Amino acid sequence: MFERFSDEGRAAVVAAQAEAAALHHGYIGTEHLLLGVLSTGAGARLMAEFGVEADPVREDVVRIVGRGTDDIDPAALATLGIDFDAVRERVERSFGPGALSRRGCGRGLLSRHIPFTARAKKALELTLREGIALGARELRAEHLVLGLLREGDGIAARILHTRGLSFDEVRARIAGRDAA
Amino acid sequence: MAAEETRELAGAVDSTDPTVGLAAVASLRALVERLEALHVANARERGWSWQEIGVALGVSKQAVHRKHGRRRRLLG
Repeated sequence: MFERFSDEGRAAVVAAQAEAAALHHGYIGTEHLLLGVLSTGAGARLMAEFGVEADPVREDVVRIVGRGTDDIDPAALATLGIDFDAVRERVERSFGPGALSRRGCGRGLLSRHIPFTARAKKALELTLREGIALGARELRAEHLVLGLLREGDGIAARILHTRGLSFDEVRARIAGRDAA
Repeated sequence: MAAEETRELAGAVDSTDPTVGLAAVASLRALVERLEALHVANARERGWSWQEIGVALGVSKQAVHRKHGRRRRLLG
């Protein structure tokens, strides 16, 4: 499916993955796709026309779903009687320095596969459908917004609805560009 | 020693406080995830099959492959 995306459309999806990883969310949801769109030039320009910007959206996402934790807090482990320093010392004795660090475990951004949620998959399918309906040669970041709005129930749609965006309005704005 | 201090601090907090308990669980889970990734990678390097790793971890070979297989390929 991603072969039908433009470079920028694909960049939005890659950025969505980065957003999910940065928030320590173990999935790519519609909210991350929206943030991905906002990270691209064309996507950000379209959204700016509707008063939607990346930072406030990210704040909303954190407020709604929270920030995941992927961090080990030695003090929290100590409440269970676990001495993290001792654990790390033993592991490093066997596997070398830094073995327990995220990078050492291969949990870096590119090495970790983050799955799409069912809603995000649905939004991607609808992006394809809406792009075809508009006669677009390739799917751009803007078309992702249509997919997210058409999906309708995800966090992205909620965030966009509270900002007064409607599918028809955004579609009308994009339609002119695809006709050209 | 810092660990001694944190233990004392921890003991001073009400252990039924959800904030403390849940933070401990989250940290423990993160620690387990990292240990698992490390040991699965080590086992694969030593030629263990996904089946053998699954048996040792008490999960199906499909589950362990799904979780760690792609990670290794991308790293490799």
